[in-house]
Amino acid sequence: MHQKLSFYVDRDSFLHHLNPLTKLTLVLTLVILSFLGLSYWLPTIIFLFIIIPLSFLGKVAQEFFNATVKLLLPVVGFLFVMQAFFHPDGTQVIFSIWIFDVTVESLSFAYLTASRILTMVASFLILLLTTHPSDLMSDLTRRGVSGNLSYVITSTLQIIPQMQVKAGTIIDAQQSRGLETTGNVFNRVKAVVPLVGPLVFGSLVEVEERAIAIEARAFTAPLKKTSLREIPDRAAERAARWIFIGVIIIAIGLRIWLL
Amino acid sequence: MALVELSSVTYTYPTTDKPALKDINLKVEQGEFLAIVGSNEAGKSTLCYTISGFIPHFFHGDLVGEVQVAGLNLEESKLNEWVLNVGLVFQNPFNQISGSKFTVFEEIAFGLENLGVKRSEMIERVERAMELTGISDLADRSPYSLSGGQQQKVALTSILVMEPQVFVLDEPTSQLDPIGAREVFEVIKEMSRAGITVIMAEHKIEWVAEFADRVIAMHDGQIIIEGSPQEVLTSPLLPEHGIGTSRYTQAAKQARTEGLFSETTPLPVTLDQAVAGFSGGNHED
Ligand SMILES: Nc1ncnc2c1ncn2[C@@H]1O[C@H](COP(=O)(O)OP(=O)(O)OP(=O)(O)O)[C@@H](O)[C@H]1O
Ligand SMILES: [Mg+2]
Repeated sequence: MHQKLSFYVDRDSFLHHLNPLTKLTLVLTLVILSFLGLSYWLPTIIFLFIIIPLSFLGKVAQEFFNATVKLLLPVVGFLFVMQAFFHPDGTQVIFSIWIFDVTVESLSFAYLTASRILTMVASFLILLLTTHPSDLMSDLTRRGVSGNLSYVITSTLQIIPQMQVKAGTIIDAQQSRGLETTGNVFNRVKAVVPLVGPLVFGSLVEVEERAIAIEARAFTAPLKKTSLREIPDRAAERAARWIFIGVIIIAIGLRIWLL
Repeated sequence: MALVELSSVTYTYPTTDKPALKDINLKVEQGEFLAIVGSNEAGKSTLCYTISGFIPHFFHGDLVGEVQVAGLNLEESKLNEWVLNVGLVFQNPFNQISGSKFTVFEEIAFGLENLGVKRSEMIERVERAMELTGISDLADRSPYSLSGGQQQKVALTSILVMEPQVFVLDEPTSQLDPIGAREVFEVIKEMSRAGITVIMAEHKIEWVAEFADRVIAMHDGQIIIEGSPQEVLTSPLLPEHGIGTSRYTQAAKQARTEGLFSETTPLPVTLDQAVAGFSGGNHED
């Protein structure tokens, strides 16, 4: 029984070997550039000429395209249609459906929003595909981000498998008490209802026990934590991060100056 | 001085008026294996939480008397210092998974990360602990993909690796299937053999008889009898207080009424003692 616990794909690539913070800084730079509005086509250019090549550099192109087509495009597409129809102002009507007009302005606004969202989510996707979640957390903790925050984030990433295991246990218990959980739709729905109670109310006792358990593991020990996973960081990467920050500052400066 | 020492300890949970522990006096020596047996609600878990510091530091409430481990005083210590000396493993294995780690190896290393142990030493200690508990082959598995028995062994190893002076176990096998329970017991026995001090609440009397150096029996927040497994587990006080007895003791008692077990042979608590006792009885006839 092996569950997929995160987006992470274990490969050996240049991106995989980068420090998590370097990747995070790069992602933030790309997102800020996409949203600053320096140029209309910038988000598209970033997506086509930076993010897609990065997916190849990280050897995760296939997973990246899969996630983009199956998850991202439907959402972004829906957003595009909504914006195209419901954007309030706009004079050059292209066509109308009932009382809704699609105008040049609404279409151009819809495209800009969609390309920004696409670029933002795709940037994070590259980060998640090439970074082990424990590495990201350990690295941030090492740099002084609170251990509690890191714990909350990593344990949240684990909630779905936890729920699956728990639901499985409860279903087993209920089946052994003679409850039908398979078969037709009606049976299945009937089976879910008694599952909700233990799943939700069980959690309150569990939260207390979990708290005791992590306390017993010295979670609040007043010591500087170390990390099992070795996280690389090179001088070149530190330099790259400063360059990214420089780019962000210049971009924001340009934006203010151009306004 | 004893490694663990409780003097006149009385404790009341914050939500109740009735003390859950009443005037407990207890000493545990370095390397000893102490078992706690008792009826339902006797206060076994409460005693475990007290020795491991969660009472009073986590549950609060009213603690009177003195608790000392390795010369440290519980009320003067902080919980995050106390847990370094006393490790706790409890019933539900699932709730003891940290919930933030992706493999068993990382899960076991979690405590050492929190203690700031150097990476190379960490790996060495995790490997050594996994070897002792026999779970090296689980290293790369997700903690969520394990059986209850395996998860409980991971929980034990996760505490073991932190090298506490005392190991407190609150019915560590009560939620496991018989095979898982047996496996976990073997691991605990192994740890005890390695010289670790173990304090374990347990209701499987046959196992207590087999493992423990000393036994205390509790009822209604008090210790009603204390001594060797043989003394305590064959005492008439146990059935009087609704505490189960070993099936070997029961068989021998029954046999005595029929004249099949010698009145002078001590009542057996383990299988070996029963076999010896019964063969001795037959010779006399
Ligand atoms: N968190 C709590 N708050 C208030 N009272 C509690 C709490 N936990 C236990 N008690 C009470 O303390 C007494 C001792 O309970 P404890 O759980 O220590 O017994 P036990 O011997 O471990 O029982 P069991 O065999 O059920 O595990 C009981 O009367 C119980 O109701
Ligand atoms: Mg209990």
